[in-house]
Amino acid sequence: MSSSITTERQLAAAASWVSTGARIVLGGVFLVAAGLKVIDPQSAVAAVRAYRLLPTSLATLVGWGLPFVEIALGLLLLAGIATRMVAAASAVLLLIFIAAVVSAAARGLSIDCGCFGGGGEVAPGQTAYGVEIVRDIGLLLLALWLVWQPCSRFALERFGSARRGASA
Amino acid sequence: MSSPKNMNARERARLAAEQAAARRRDRRILIAVIAGFVLLVVAAGIGFQAWRTGRSPSAAPSSPASASPVTISDGRPLVLGASQASVTIALYEDFHCPHCAEFEEQFGPVITQAQQSGTARVELYPLAFIDEGSAAAANAMACAAEAGFGQNYYFGLFANHTLQWNDEQLIELAAKVGGSPTDAFKSCVTSKAHADWLASINAAAEKSGVTQTPTMLINGKEVDIAILTPESLQAMIRDAAQK
Repeated sequence: MSSSITTERQLAAAASWVSTGARIVLGGVFLVAAGLKVIDPQSAVAAVRAYRLLPTSLATLVGWGLPFVEIALGLLLLAGIATRMVAAASAVLLLIFIAAVVSAAARGLSIDCGCFGGGGEVAPGQTAYGVEIVRDIGLLLLALWLVWQPCSRFALERFGSARRGASA
Repeated sequence: MSSPKNMNARERARLAAEQAAARRRDRRILIAVIAGFVLLVVAAGIGFQAWRTGRSPSAAPSSPASASPVTISDGRPLVLGASQASVTIALYEDFHCPHCAEFEEQFGPVITQAQQSGTARVELYPLAFIDEGSAAAANAMACAAEAGFGQNYYFGLFANHTLQWNDEQLIELAAKVGGSPTDAFKSCVTSKAHADWLASINAAAEKSGVTQTPTMLINGKEVDIAILTPESLQAMIRDAAQK
């Protein structure tokens, strides 16, 4: 009985460290990706336009605004506030990214995803859709892990105080 | 959170219900605060970028070279530099293409040096396939070349490539790079006087198989920009001059 509780606690502790890592990686990637886009808003808009999915005015808003969505989510993840909710929002965002890249590949466009700044048309042989999709799926898995296991170390929010109180 | 042991079941249930209600309320407040935070950051960000892309252009490093007016003729590029130079560097660029701005930053100085020493001249094909700003900037570039300050205007366009390029900014840039925003220049910009020329240039680029910017040809031979370094470009220009 007591040993199974110990194992459970060890697992929970390990999971909380994995979640801490996931928060730092996902939040860090969002902030870096956003920073590279924020410095060049014109390129960010051009990158959105290159997908040919949105009308011009909307592409401008997305090009300007999307990096700030990433900044907001990245800061919340790093701070560890409402991790489950923020991770769920991040997962939705990443799904949209993946869908956009898949659609670009499926329509035979040759563009750079513009994920980390840059973006726009590239030479037909220079697309990297595979790498871009795998990277986004990796980040999506981190986000989903955090939805499942939002409790982590170095977070501003407190977890499971009620549960701990009940078991104590 | 240690619940007193001497509570009866009803009190405990009531307490638990109260706590659950409080948690739900806290959660709703948290969701509202988080959503508000995200919206605020995004709205501020959009406002910030609207200001950044709409503000006045800044001055660019100017070059004393090529102050002579350029004639604009359909299907022909803008020539910047000495017409008798032995090396011709054809540049296909869009003033809003991010890689063009990077290219200019990295290789511009080498090209400018070759222009100033009289070794090379640039045949500029300003393309316009990214947005209206690209087309407006390309048209204004032709206006500036015609008015005799094309080279400096070119530097200014890339130095300020984060701007959206409305007419006001394009006119303001002329003064910022040491050109004179005469009435002729202003009307050339606002009326998109060289729109037809721009179309002919884009058609010419398409015809010669240029599908992306930046594209660079040295004496008619395409250069692989992906593996280019400033040193190798310098060597290429030197080799081309010796042939």
